[in-house]
This record gives sequence, structure tokens and C-alpha cells, in this order.
Amino acid sequence: MSAAPMSAADVAAWRARMPGAFGRDGRARALRLLGWAAFLLWLGWALWHFGFTPERLWNGLSGLATILRLMVPPSPGELWVDILQGLAESVAMAFLGTFIAALIAVPLGFLGAGNVVTNTLFRFSLRRVFDGFRGIDQLIWALAFVRAVGLGPLAGVLAIATADVAVLAKLNAEAIENAERRQVEGVTAAGGGFLARLRFGVLPQVLPVMLAQALYFFESNTRSAAILGVVGAGGIGLQISERIRVRHWDEVAFIILLMVATVAAIDWLSARLRRRMIGG
Amino acid sequence: MPVPAKDAAAWMGARGMLELQGLTRRFGATLAVDHVNLEVPAGQMVGVIGRSGAGKSTLLRMINRLAEPSSGRILAGGRDVTALQGRALREWRRDCAMVFQQFNLVQRLDVLTNVLIGRLAWQRGWRAAMVLVGARFTAEERAMALAALDRFGLAETALQRAETLSGGQQQRVAICRALLQQPRLVLADEPIASLDPRNAQVVMDALRDVNRRDGLTVLVNLHHLDTAREYCDRIVAMQAGKVVFDGLPGALTAERVRAIYGISEQEFAAEAEARQRAAAAPARLAMA
Repeated sequence: MSAAPMSAADVAAWRARMPGAFGRDGRARALRLLGWAAFLLWLGWALWHFGFTPERLWNGLSGLATILRLMVPPSPGELWVDILQGLAESVAMAFLGTFIAALIAVPLGFLGAGNVVTNTLFRFSLRRVFDGFRGIDQLIWALAFVRAVGLGPLAGVLAIATADVAVLAKLNAEAIENAERRQVEGVTAAGGGFLARLRFGVLPQVLPVMLAQALYFFESNTRSAAILGVVGAGGIGLQISERIRVRHWDEVAFIILLMVATVAAIDWLSARLRRRMIGG
Repeated sequence: MPVPAKDAAAWMGARGMLELQGLTRRFGATLAVDHVNLEVPAGQMVGVIGRSGAGKSTLLRMINRLAEPSSGRILAGGRDVTALQGRALREWRRDCAMVFQQFNLVQRLDVLTNVLIGRLAWQRGWRAAMVLVGARFTAEERAMALAALDRFGLAETALQRAETLSGGQQQRVAICRALLQQPRLVLADEPIASLDPRNAQVVMDALRDVNRRDGLTVLVNLHHLDTAREYCDRIVAMQAGKVVFDGLPGALTAERVRAIYGISEQEFAAEAEARQRAAAAPARLAMA
């Protein structure tokens, strides 16, 4: 019987015939162990270096408790019109920034996809440019654009668009590379040219993915738009940082609740939109 | 690989009859399986035939408990397995290995690991944790898997991903996975419906080999009467959830087929053929 218990000699014979099937040998295992030991050592050192002690964590906890106490009950304060304006501005910033990024990322995605652009050098360079842009955080872009175009939401929109266009382009390129070849072949066989193949063979497959990603980014950017305001790029963030400075934590709590509600509403809306446009 | 005679004898003793008593499954208003009573002695190779929607798949899936019976009982060696839970259920599933039409291998895992999945229900305690974390199966289990693959000419593919294999090869890997479970019976649900005739023969030969050489009970759903007649000791024909014929392959003559299904055997075969193509095509696309 083939699945009967094996004798030691049988096991040895199989080990000699296919050593790869029996996992790593002693040396490879020792190396791995060494790697893990080095990692744990580094982790311990890093925690020690950052002063990661139970005492500090405990003290921090009591500081947080004080803030939480000050937050209850949340209050809109007297300048609640400013708060609502800031929130609307943040949502608008996030939408415009994501919309611009998503539009530009569609052609860039096609250019970065290996099954569309066969020139390796061009594609490789383009991908490295994406990587470069991705390496710079939204916040750095925001600081740069505040200097360039001045304080206000325009800097925020530009920061969101620039930071996201590279990420979306990369995600789009990957979606395009995962598109199924046979469907494209069907279009080719019917006499479709290069652009027709992209339009009718590839785009229908990847459009739902692109849309889903853009919607997710819109939601995520509404959250991060709050941070952009702190550095002067407009929106609700400015309102938050002003109130933290004067320790009006009850008003901060009100803004936070409002933001949570807004993000939830966007999430709900985008889920509906996705169902309508993609189906399922 | 040779087996000590006393082991084989001990296994035979551990196996018992499979009994289905009034087994029924409802989907809404329709009865997919309607009061099926069946006794399968150990070591038999039973072909279950029937047209599309006759309830063959549901019957097999209920035995493995992938589908829950609406009523009725399943007895294995006198033990009721209808209401098993937790570990007892997992061990029963280990004892009745399933082979699927679409192979159900994990495409991104290598062939060896796919076969070793048959050992999962055998792991206990510390070993189970080692297997979960690092797929640390023992050297003995690995050798068992390689021997099983070797038996069907697949030892050289052990370290390839399952997705690189052809359909016929994948189905043989699935049979190896079943063997590694060291089961009492093998349930094969349309095992050759997605294969070309030559691969279908290889896979059916493998199932017969498992039945003859290992002495395992095999229940196989088929929609080709010829295949069932050629390979099985006994044929059970289903129609609308009921068993309408149960006997030796020789007794299922062309007249009997016409009497049961109201169509000739050629029409039956053509219908099966068309359904096979319809079933195989979208499934392959979905997998790609």
C-alpha cells in the first residue's frame, strides 16, 4: 500500500533520491536560526534605545486618560460654522486630489504594464520614477506646495494628487498585468488593433479594479486631509490643531466624531457606487 | 511499495460496511436526495450513475459531510457519523477521502505539500503546531508522499507548483492526497468529467488500483455508463434523488437504461458529453 508506514531504509532512500523534498539541511537551518537571533537582538536594542519601558507606557496612559476626561462631553464650541466649513473643504480636497490622481494614473498604468509596453528600458525607468514619487510622503508634498502656491486647500489638492498618482499608477499597472490574456486574444483574433485590444480586451477587465482603488483612496484621503491642514494646506486639520493648542479637547472630540461620521458616509456611498458600476 | 501482511490485515479489520439509511437532502422545495438506502460492503468499487441533477454529487458530499443531510443516517462500521462534530468529524473526513471533479488542489502550493495536506488530520499537539507554522511534516510522511506520487509516475513533479501540471496529472495528485489520508473509503465525485479520454482512463485505472491493491472501498460518480460498466463491481443508478437501479454491471442492459431514463444509451452518453463540456469550460476560465 502506497500510504503505509515507511521503514527507515525507505525514508533514507527517498531522501537520497529527492533531498529537496525534505526541507532545509542542517546548515541552512543553522543560518536561519542565526538570522532570527540577529533580528531579535536588533529588536531588543531598538526597544531599549527608544526608551520602551513599562513605566513610560504607564505614565503615558495616565496622560491619555486626562485628555479623554477633557473630551467628555464633546462640544461644537462657538465657531461651529468654521468647523463645518473646514470639514467640507477637507472632503473637497480629498475628492479633487484623488480624482486628478486617478485620471492621470490610468494612462500611466498602461505605460507601466509589461504586457502593454514591451520596451523594457522605458518601462523600467517609468516604474523607478513611480517608486521615487512613492518614496515621498503626502506630508512632504504638502509642505512643498504650501511654499510654492501659498497656504490653503490648493496646496492640499496638489499634495494628494502628486502623492497618489504614483501609487495608483503602480496598482493599475499590476492589475493590467494580471488581466487575462485569452480575452485579449479574442479581440486580436477578431482583427482588433493595439488600442482596440487595450480598450476592449484589457480595460473592461481592469476598470472595476481601478474604480475600487480610487474609491478606497478617496476615503483614505478624507482621513489624511486632516493632517494636511495642520501644516497649512487647508481643511479641517487647521481647526483641530488650533483647538489642541488652546486645549479645547471637547471641541476636538466633536470634530473627531464628525470626521468618523463623514468617513463612514463616504464608505457607504462608495460601496453603493461600486455595486452599481461593477455589479456584485 | 510493499506492505507487511499483518498491517494490511489490521486495516481490513478496522474497516466496516458503509450504510445509508433514508438519507435525504432538501434544497428549498426540491428533494436533491430522496430517502436513499444503500449498503456498501468494504472493498467494493461502486459506480453511481445518473443524469444531471440526479443527486449523485449531493449523495457523495453528504457522506463526507460537506453537505448536511436533511434527514436520515450514515453509518460506518456500525457507527453513526451523521452528527459528528469537531475532531471526530475531521477524523471521519480523513477516513473517507474525497476526489473532486475540478481536483481542488491548492494551485500555488507545490505538489508535495498538496499531497501532504492528506496528513493534516493525523497531526496531534506539538506536531500540529509545527505543521501549521512551517509545514514541518516528518521525513516519514514526506517519503510516504513521494512513494505515493511515484506510484502514479509523478515523483519528479513533487517540487513544482500544482498549477504547472496538466489536468490528468492534477487529478492523480489529488488521488495521492486521498491515499495519504490512509482512508477507509474513497469518494470520487465525477473525477474524470474534466479530463480528455486518455487521461480519464489513467485516472480510472488509478482508482481501480487503489481499490484492488489497497483494498479501499471506492464510490465513484460517473456519467458514462461504459466507464461504470468497465471499472465497477456494482452500479447504482439515480434519478430525481432516488435509487432506481442497484446491481451488477451486467444487469444494466440497454433495455434497462431505456426503461429507467426513457432515453437510449447513446442519448444518455451524448447528454453527458454536452454537460461535461459545459461544466469544464467555465470552471477552467475561473481558475485562470
